This record gives sequence, structure tokens and C-alpha cells, in this order.
Amino acid sequence: MSIKDLTSMAEAQVELREEINNRLLRLQNELSDYCFQCAKCTSGCEAHKLLELEPHKIMALLKRGLIDEMVNSDVIWTCMSCFKCRERCPQKVSPVDVLFALKNLAVMGGKQIPGNYTSMLQSILSMGLIQDVQEVQTRDMKTRRREDLGLPRVSKPKDASKFQMVLTKLAVEKV
Amino acid sequence: MKKYTLYPGCVMQTEQYGYELSIREVFPVLGVELVDVENFSCCGEPVKSINQLLTLYLSARNLAIAEQQGFDLFVPCSVCHFALSECKNILDNDGGMRSRVNEMLASEDLEYKGKVGVVHTVDLLYDHVGVKEIKKHVKKPLKGLKIASHYGCHLVRPSEIGRPVDSENPMKIEAVLEALGAETMDYAEKLDCCGGLLLVNLPESALTKTGQKLQAVEEHGFDGLVTVCPWCQRMFDSRQKKAGETVAAKLEVPVFYLTQLLGLAFGLDERKLGLDLNLSPVDKLKV
Repeated sequence: MSIKDLTSMAEAQVELREEINNRLLRLQNELSDYCFQCAKCTSGCEAHKLLELEPHKIMALLKRGLIDEMVNSDVIWTCMSCFKCRERCPQKVSPVDVLFALKNLAVMGGKQIPGNYTSMLQSILSMGLIQDVQEVQTRDMKTRRREDLGLPRVSKPKDASKFQMVLTKLAVEKV
Repeated sequence: MKKYTLYPGCVMQTEQYGYELSIREVFPVLGVELVDVENFSCCGEPVKSINQLLTLYLSARNLAIAEQQGFDLFVPCSVCHFALSECKNILDNDGGMRSRVNEMLASEDLEYKGKVGVVHTVDLLYDHVGVKEIKKHVKKPLKGLKIASHYGCHLVRPSEIGRPVDSENPMKIEAVLEALGAETMDYAEKLDCCGGLLLVNLPESALTKTGQKLQAVEEHGFDGLVTVCPWCQRMFDSRQKKAGETVAAKLEVPVFYLTQLLGLAFGLDERKLGLDLNLSPVDKLKV
């Protein structure tokens, strides 16, 4: 199994397209019901000042049906997942979770995944953790390994093939 | 001795050894026994942007493994603690999703039943052990040190899934610090994000967040910053130099794990607390 299988299922599948369309429709319907543009989300947003993420505007655009545009925009990848918007939204819209959904949809639709997400995912597939055990430096530049420090063996999936098998199945299942 | 299963996550056990070392030193002193278990994996939260169901499955898998031990699960990483708490919240309230996840877990002979609780360093110290008990073990009070606390976003919010601290005015770290004899002070940037999760795809911006918060801590006249999350620590401590370069400032903020400060106040050996692994200028503080 490759990352492509897990994230994009690159071949266009009718069933998958339907699933995505249904999710988009649900997203749009729910937002129309709840968000009333108070912008409390944006006022607290950690990514707002630095990266111009404006959750309330994204919600407004989604309500107007500009879903593909949002799925394909880079701005959805600027969220720091601080959860202030979810905590403070008086309507329980949870923009952070809408952004997670949009990013998932972008990935499902085969859009290129930014940054190191792919290597983290690859590492989870191969050893169950986002990265392998690292050698670290002390303040006076000496190298230390985990075992030098008297720490026990890392905890990771015992049966890697069984673990991978389920993740493969997950890729085929619809998110 | 009260027993907890230790869930080490990814970042702590592959890189942030100072947290793990100090946890393993400090909790036995407080009458908490930690049980190591094989077979855990990533909690899934770091790849939630890619596939949310994968995140849910990975969290459920870890909870199911913990259930086989029967003890509550001690999760020192705020990101993991969030993921496992959210997973619990979803599976305990959505029977359909629960059976769907359990079908997948069956291939590894696992089942999620919802039987274990999930605790973090902060509530383990404040709610389970208690400030009174902590005070009893203080041999070298952290007198005259004014410490800023950083809780980390994932520990604080969202309150609807149950978090160990108040969502707008968390004070439990301060209470523990004061029990150690340190001074604390509220500051405007206390709830600001470390930028950690953005390091994956927008490192410049992530480090700017880190640098800005460290600058604020310095300007407020704190002697140091304390964290309770390996993601936050690796921004504020491991990457402090880079963060300083990003915001064009020379940063010199000593950054500790809360458990390292506990160990120092208890009179434990610095080496055993992994203090030589902190890359920020922790020598500045003479405890």
C-alpha cells in the first residue's frame, strides 16, 4: 500500500465522488442553519493576525456554495488547531472541524498534501509512530540516545502487518 | 501506590526525553506507579488534516489496549490527551460509530468498551495527587522564581469534550508552582498558541508564534516558562534559537517541563530529570 492509496485513491471512482458530494451538501446545509456571522471565531483565531485566516469568512463563503474554492484554497492549511473558535462559537459551528473536513476533502480529491504530513503518515504506516526514535543533543553538544538514558523500549504496534492491514482497510472505507 | 498505565505517544518517547525522564522520577515519589505497556501507536491527531477516521481509529485502538490493563490512562502529551478524550466522547455517544470502529479493532483482537479514564500531568498532579501531598515532598523550594505557565491549546479546549482545566482561566499549573514555592503571575499572552502543529507545513509562521510568545514572557520579567506538552516544549525550548532568529530577537528564556521543576524542588538529581537535554538557558536559574 502506498500513501496515494491511503489518501487520495487516485483513480476517479463514481462512488467516492458521490460520497464527497454528499458530505459537501451536508456541510453547506448545516452551516446555513447555524452560523450568523458574529465573527467571534476570527477575533480569537491564532492564525488570524499572522496568516490572515478568517474563519467567519470561510463559513460565509461555504454558505454561499463556494465549497470547491475553499477545498482548493491554501488558506485552509493555515489553521493551528488551537480550538478557540470551537470553544467560543455561540452556535456550536466549530470552524476548526469544518476546516479539518475541508482538508480531508482536499486530500480525498487528490490535491497535493502540503508540508511533512505525508512523511508522518508514512512513518505511522511503517512503525506506528509519526517519527522514528531520535538521537538528541545535550546543552553542551553531547549526543544521547534513548537507551543511554535508561529509558525502556518504545511502545509501538507489536504486529506491524496486522496494524497496516487495518489502515489499508480504512483507506478503502469512506471517511 | 495508585497505578496508571503510561501512554507515551510519539513526540515524548522519540525525542522529548526530558519529559519522560522527569515523569518517571517524580511520580513514584508522589505515590503514583506507572505501568508500561507494549503495542501503543500514534494517537492520530497529527494527521487529522489528512483523514479524520484514521485519527479516530488510532485513538480508539490505544484506548482499547489500555482497557486490557484496567488502569486509568496517564497521557502526558496534551495533543494525545485531546485526541483520546475526543475519541472517548465520540464513541461513548455514537453507537453506530462505536460498532464501526470495533469491527475494525476486531482484526487485532481489540475492543473499545469505554472503561478507562484519561488523565493528563496537570490533573494527575492537582486533582489526583493534590497540592497538599506535593508540598510534603518539597525540600528545595523554588523561592524567588517568577514562572510563566503555558498550558497548551489542546489541554485547555474545547470544554464540551471535558478538559482537565478551565477553558478561559486555567489556574492548576499556578497552584502546583506555588506549592513548590515559586511565584506566578497572570499575563495577557498566557493562552497564546506555541505554533507547534503548524511546524508540519508552515514552519516560518509556526516559529514566529513561538518567538512572539517567548518575547512576551521575557518582557513581563518572568524568570522562566513552564510547559506540560512535548509539542509546546519542542517549540519553546528545543527550537528557541530558531524562533529567536525568526522574530529577529535574542531570546534567553529558560523553559522547563513542570515535572522537571517538581523534581528540582523535591531535591532530585538534575541529570535524572533530563535537565541537560533542555536547550534553552536553564542554567540561568539557580534552584
